[in-house]
Amino acid sequence: MAATRRLQKELNDIRQSGLKSFRDIQVDESNILTWQGLIVPDNPPYNKGAFRIEINFPAEYPFKPPKISFKTKIYHPNIDEKGQVCLPIISAENWKPATKTDQVIQALVALVNDPEPEHPLRAELAEEYLRDRKRFTKNAEEFTKKHSEKRPSD
Amino acid sequence: MNSKSETDEASRGSEASSSNSDPTPDSSKEDSSPSLCSDSHSDNTQDIMKRAAAKQLIERYFYQLVDGCGNPNCDNKYCASSGEARNLTPNEAAAEAIKLFYKEARLCDSLPNKVPRIEAACCESSTSNTTNTKEKTNKDEKNLNTPSSSTASGQSGEMKAGTSQSLSQFVYKNLSFSNGAPLTEDRMYQLCDDCINNKSPQSLIKALAEAFTQPPILARSFATKVNTDHISTKEEKTAKESKAMCSSDPDKDIDCSSKPALDVASCRRAFEYLSKVPSEKYNSTLVLILATLAEYIQLDIRVGKMPIDDIINCFVIAFEVKDLGCSDYLEVALPALCDAAEHLPIKGQAKLARIWGQECKESLRHILEMLQQLITLRVISTHYTRTFQVQDDESVTKATKLMKIVYYANMIAGVMEPNTLREEPVVITNQLDPLGDALDHLYPLSSIKNSKHSQPKDPLAIELGVNVLDARKPYLPFEEFYNEPLSDTIEMDVDFANYKTDTSGGKKFSFLKYPFILTAATKSLGLYYENRIRMYSERRVSLLHAVVGASPPMPFLKLKVRRSHIIDDALVELEMIAMERALDLKKQLVVEFEGEQGVDEGGVSKEFFQLIVEEIFNPDYGMFTQQVDSHTVWFNPTSFETEAQFTLIGIVLGLAIYNNIILAVNFPMVVYRKLMGKKGSFEDLADWNPILYNGLKDMLDYTGADLTDVYYQTFRICYTDVFGNNIFHDLKENGDSLFVTQENKQEFVELYAEFLLNKSVETQFKAFRRGFVMVTDESQLTTLFRAEEVETLVCGSKNFDFNELEKSTEYDGGYTSDSTTIKDFWSIVHSLSLEDKRKLLQFTTGSDRVPVGGLSHLKLVIARNGPDCDRLPTAHTCFNVLLLPEYENKDKLQDRLMKAISYSKGFGML
Repeated sequence: MAATRRLQKELNDIRQSGLKSFRDIQVDESNILTWQGLIVPDNPPYNKGAFRIEINFPAEYPFKPPKISFKTKIYHPNIDEKGQVCLPIISAENWKPATKTDQVIQALVALVNDPEPEHPLRAELAEEYLRDRKRFTKNAEEFTKKHSEKRPSD
Repeated sequence: MNSKSETDEASRGSEASSSNSDPTPDSSKEDSSPSLCSDSHSDNTQDIMKRAAAKQLIERYFYQLVDGCGNPNCDNKYCASSGEARNLTPNEAAAEAIKLFYKEARLCDSLPNKVPRIEAACCESSTSNTTNTKEKTNKDEKNLNTPSSSTASGQSGEMKAGTSQSLSQFVYKNLSFSNGAPLTEDRMYQLCDDCINNKSPQSLIKALAEAFTQPPILARSFATKVNTDHISTKEEKTAKESKAMCSSDPDKDIDCSSKPALDVASCRRAFEYLSKVPSEKYNSTLVLILATLAEYIQLDIRVGKMPIDDIINCFVIAFEVKDLGCSDYLEVALPALCDAAEHLPIKGQAKLARIWGQECKESLRHILEMLQQLITLRVISTHYTRTFQVQDDESVTKATKLMKIVYYANMIAGVMEPNTLREEPVVITNQLDPLGDALDHLYPLSSIKNSKHSQPKDPLAIELGVNVLDARKPYLPFEEFYNEPLSDTIEMDVDFANYKTDTSGGKKFSFLKYPFILTAATKSLGLYYENRIRMYSERRVSLLHAVVGASPPMPFLKLKVRRSHIIDDALVELEMIAMERALDLKKQLVVEFEGEQGVDEGGVSKEFFQLIVEEIFNPDYGMFTQQVDSHTVWFNPTSFETEAQFTLIGIVLGLAIYNNIILAVNFPMVVYRKLMGKKGSFEDLADWNPILYNGLKDMLDYTGADLTDVYYQTFRICYTDVFGNNIFHDLKENGDSLFVTQENKQEFVELYAEFLLNKSVETQFKAFRRGFVMVTDESQLTTLFRAEEVETLVCGSKNFDFNELEKSTEYDGGYTSDSTTIKDFWSIVHSLSLEDKRKLLQFTTGSDRVPVGGLSHLKLVIARNGPDCDRLPTAHTCFNVLLLPEYENKDKLQDRLMKAISYSKGFGML
């Protein structure tokens, strides 16, 4: 596989580095442009579960940015009901081809752990997050319990 | 020499005293003759020589009166040295000098301090006479220096009048010519400071006048510092001589050619400093000085004595003079400079363009603005008639010619691409029409077809080796060259006629030869005339065919299609025509929908194009793909369609331009560049796919040595086809094992762009372009329009301004802009959504695109269609007429209008 040399390398690097917050990376051998993995956040209210994401790399990667979507439902101001996430580091305007996927994942994990209500995708959650943090935390925890995947045991 | 013997002193004195106000015949001639002279320039070098010689003689008289010959024993009463001439002000002296010239008064012999000047003058006049005139030489020389024969006096009278004006100009304000050092930056600073401190502009004006009225000195002003010492010593030594070089002799020219180059930056700083001096002190003088300079330069160019480099330097310096906001500059000095520039040979123009483009980028805007102001002022303030067109207005045409130099300088100053990226020329197999060929001999009108061969490229472009196609990013946007008042004033039919006759050796001016100054809308009118003329000529030829009895071809290009099978029918018909009689494509298009009554006066073909484009560019059709990132369509590199089908799309596009129809296609700009003959390159990716472009650009900007590690990119790239499959491609052999490094990243990017924009769609695009060229090959499309303008021709301008439409709309059948229904109509229209506005446009004009130049060019007519009734509004799309019954109230109007525009497809009579 060719244009994906870089992807292959990145995949190997990530697998070897053993990231605690991004695990269980699955890549279809026939199509290295699509990755799946588990985001394992540390901060409450999300630290009781894990969230499956999918990373889609364009054919022109790394000259075009990858796209990330959540396969697991999550109660989060920056991630909408369809699982779309707005991550500045991979937006078309900000994308730098030199950016590595592990940097992208770290940015994503940081966003999950610490929501940015200033740039919400779900305004009502952002509102709740800012006005009534307690209620937000409670809702998010319940939501996580109900929908999220099991955290890896180790 | 000193032929005329002394007349008595008394008379001389009285003459001198009265010289300022004396309304002698001379001064009356002075008023009338300049225009006469400028008209009669023709190319009579002999005449010019005489003028030059006369001018020098007058100057000699002038100096003799002011400074004297220097001989203490001088007995010439017209010489200051004799002590007999009273002290004259320079103005008086100038007038007196002219009189003495008429009288052919006595001139002193060569004198110590003025020797060089006079020698040079004599030398010049005699040598040039000998070289340029043959048998008349002796006679002329005699005429100039001795009492004249009758013919000579007539000529010299004219000469005198012509030169006297400039002389009195440069004598303006107590100028004395004791010193002629070139200007330098430091000297300018000093002069300006002096002027500010002393509150007297005398010395400044004097220095400026000295330099600007003597081109050879001006040419050596602001020389590059390195050699300044050398120059200044030389200057001292030859201070007197250099002044005399006003009409330099050949030896000194050689001297000059070794001089250091002009330091434009220094010159600019110096003139910027000048603006510290309150401008009213020197403005009017400077204008006169510049005008005089222009006249001298022009003379020098024609005489050909002064090295062209020096003349160019003079131009460069003259256009560095800033902040002459006064109207005199626009009315006097600038036209004079344009006039002079017109006489520059092509090589000189090219040189000027290069200097401006390479060293004076900062000044280009200023120069362009001044020229635009001049043209606009002139166009607005002049009333043109059928007998006196803009094309006859010399101050406009000359400014336009100078603007061409600025236009090329502007491209040189901007980003140019190598001229190697060219699409292969399309060779249309000879469209054999034996009868037509035979008729060409008998019937010259059809020879218009062949005019493309005689349409020469702009000589300046050839000299510079500059092609607009390669101008990636001009220093100033091309739009700034448009002059809208001019574009609106031009009678395009006249201009087009001039354009056409010019190719056969005519002398008429045509703005179409300077397409940069015309807006796309105006030029498209020119194209329209051309297309119509060709259509008519095709029609006539077919008529002749019929007369001769050959198979009578259709005078029109007639397509009959079924609405339900529009693509298939159109493609089949067009394919047949393209194969059998490609010439027919140049006939006027007439479309007929089967089973409908619409007579095609333009409206039906508009709808036809609309429907075809809708279908073809539908991604489901498979010929084109939608590019999500840029909202453009692109050739499907893996399409299953045959080449013939792409050719047909090209024909459709060409037909649309040819028949003046706007299409709703959204090609990226690179398509138009490619159509114009330029291959796609990396910079084209910017609008083809901005995200990819930015990513690649980022890599180019990455300077770290670890580029290979960070990017880990090889020369194998990947792309997705329409079905979502990833396809790999090696940009180079063994691309998979060839990594991109700092050294080869540029190559990688270029190969990548080459692949995406050229190679991957080569077959499709070639076929497409072939079709396009089949229709447009003989038109002036490529010479008149830049790629960006072709885009506006095809898709219309992107400006969607209904206020503009309201202003330009006309009313008919009893409506006025004040009718209640009309007022209601516009208030409804302005409140419509964009989509509904588009529908309304579609309904009334048959196309939802804005024409070139904006909605005001639509010429919409709203006509009253009877009193209140239940009928829907209707439209004549061919004439952009909307028929609107006078509905009883606004609500009903809105209801009927919305119904009409929402269910409008189909053509029929109601």
